[in-house]
Amino acid sequence: MDAFGTALVSFTDPYLIGIVLIGTLGGVLVGAMPGLSSTMATALLLPFTLTMDPIPAIALLSALYCAGTFGGSITAILVNAPGAPPAAATAFDGYPLAQQGFAGRALGLAAISSVIGGLFSVLVLIVAAPLLSRVAYNFGPPEYFALAVFGLSMLATISGESAVKNLIGGAFGVLLATVGMDFTTGVDRFTFGLWELSEGIHFIPVMIGLFAGAEFLKQAGKLDQKRFRVAVDAVRLPSRADIKRCLGTIARSCGIGSFIGLLPAEGGTVAAMIGYNEAKRWAKDKSQFGKGDIRGIAGPEAANNAATGAAMVPTLALGIPGSATTAIILGALVVHGLRPGPHLFTEQPTLLYAIFLAMLLANIAFAFFGFFGAKLFARITLIPVEYLWPAVFMLACIGSYALDQAVLDVWIMVGAGLLGFVLQRYGFSAAPIIMGLILGELVEGSLKQSLIIFDHNWLMFFERPIVVTLFVLTALSISLPAIGAARARRRARMQEA
Amino acid sequence: MTDTQPVKRLAKAGRLPRDLIIGLAILAFCAVAYWITLGFAEAPPALAQNVQPASFPRMVIGVIAALTVLMIAFGIGKPGNPRPLPKISVFITAAMMVGFVIAFDVLGIIGAMVLFSIAMPMMWGERRPIHLAAYAALFPAAIYSVFAVGLGVYFAPGLVGTLFQGL
Repeated sequence: MDAFGTALVSFTDPYLIGIVLIGTLGGVLVGAMPGLSSTMATALLLPFTLTMDPIPAIALLSALYCAGTFGGSITAILVNAPGAPPAAATAFDGYPLAQQGFAGRALGLAAISSVIGGLFSVLVLIVAAPLLSRVAYNFGPPEYFALAVFGLSMLATISGESAVKNLIGGAFGVLLATVGMDFTTGVDRFTFGLWELSEGIHFIPVMIGLFAGAEFLKQAGKLDQKRFRVAVDAVRLPSRADIKRCLGTIARSCGIGSFIGLLPAEGGTVAAMIGYNEAKRWAKDKSQFGKGDIRGIAGPEAANNAATGAAMVPTLALGIPGSATTAIILGALVVHGLRPGPHLFTEQPTLLYAIFLAMLLANIAFAFFGFFGAKLFARITLIPVEYLWPAVFMLACIGSYALDQAVLDVWIMVGAGLLGFVLQRYGFSAAPIIMGLILGELVEGSLKQSLIIFDHNWLMFFERPIVVTLFVLTALSISLPAIGAARARRRARMQEA
Repeated sequence: MTDTQPVKRLAKAGRLPRDLIIGLAILAFCAVAYWITLGFAEAPPALAQNVQPASFPRMVIGVIAALTVLMIAFGIGKPGNPRPLPKISVFITAAMMVGFVIAFDVLGIIGAMVLFSIAMPMMWGERRPIHLAAYAALFPAAIYSVFAVGLGVYFAPGLVGTLFQGL
């Protein structure tokens, strides 16, 4: 309780409140800009936080994360171009509603649904993270190995062209994590004689490259595209009738989003899609979906925001990222000398409470910004791409350089950008590579320690109940997408017949 | 002749199975990566504790190769989606990304940013000289101030910095 009090007192400091508000405002802005996701913005912002104390640094990134998820809905509704992937489902009904002259109603509903989802997820975070950390406190290397493998296996179910491609991406990330000196033997691996690589590939330049560098190239191929913005009337609170109509959808989406967020590697995009599908499935009258049904906005918005706080649960309690953005926050914790995982709850309780409070404040603040600034934020799409994207790229280069003040990191960022662009063309996502890169060290380290404990008897893994449970879950998460696809094919064949 | 016929003909004319090319490229990468692991130094058994430095990377390479074979197998019988080549602007942008890093190393951060701030928007279609000049002057100055002055990041002066120091 002392830690909570200390965190609460720290939030009376105008500096910290200002930091959270700046993060929230920045999050709404970058979220609103198509192509500039909160994941990319968090990665770009991380180097700026290096000189800050851990609490304001992590509070800033957490606020940006929360607000970025909501920001995407503004352009999804007004421009039909989701500012961020989690807002893609919001455009299905948000844009048609805006075209009918109800942009303000759509934005108001998106803001309220997002706030409810976001606040619910912070409550889930406050309750679930300490509980999970208590369970994880007794984990040994075999349990951590099984957990990391389970986290990687969950990549099979995240969005992307295919489950196998996500798993390949994750394994490639793990391979990247082996670059550098092997800590147990001191032998260099994949360093090609470059001493700078002995400490390994820093995940931040890779992450910035995969997100910002690849997007820069994607934008280069879309120079002739024009966006049409719908005029915005005043953003207004949803009417009582709208709330009544959407309440069930919002409640369901809060549960769906939180559950999806809790799963390692899953995130807001998956939650939003499921939230939308469930809103449609439960609706008695489905005829207006895709044409401007308000439940088609409330469902995905509540779900993707409910996933944000929940995704922080495995990140903080286990050190296993719940989504691509939380992977960056996990990295930020490490960069600031903190150890994510159960020990964080005993070693840094004040920081944790500060994160909870920052996320609560951000969720309230983005509603305020959404209501009063949506009209203004929509104008961000008017920034000419020929100025915006070169600026993003230069910022990406300098952000990568600033970490260790090494030009090699800039080369790594550019290389990751080029590779990311090519891989995306062939249906590979960036997120699994990042997950693999972050979890790689844990996978190798815990496997080696386990093998030493077990005297190289692999069968001893199966003598530990938690490990067996996690291996079963791993098998399920890998096989479920294949089973789902097979069932869908069978259903399609039956319908044809 | 309907609109769909040319597409069908393309598929029948032996368009490669889905993911075959990228799959083969990944397998080639795995082969090269495995070959590189053969050059890793061996650690004394007491230090390595039966897990040599190459063991784990080889295991991961094996997993990637196995998954890639699976991906290729899933694509058999399914013609790949036609992927048009990226536009020329993508290739030029990629070259300019590489050029920026070279300029960063040689000219220094300010020189590289000023050049890039003019060249990149021009390449993307901007032609207004006053806008370009304002962007090339203000953006690098703002970024340099934040990082070098605000965050204390050291940037090597490069040719441009050395030239100014000489003056």
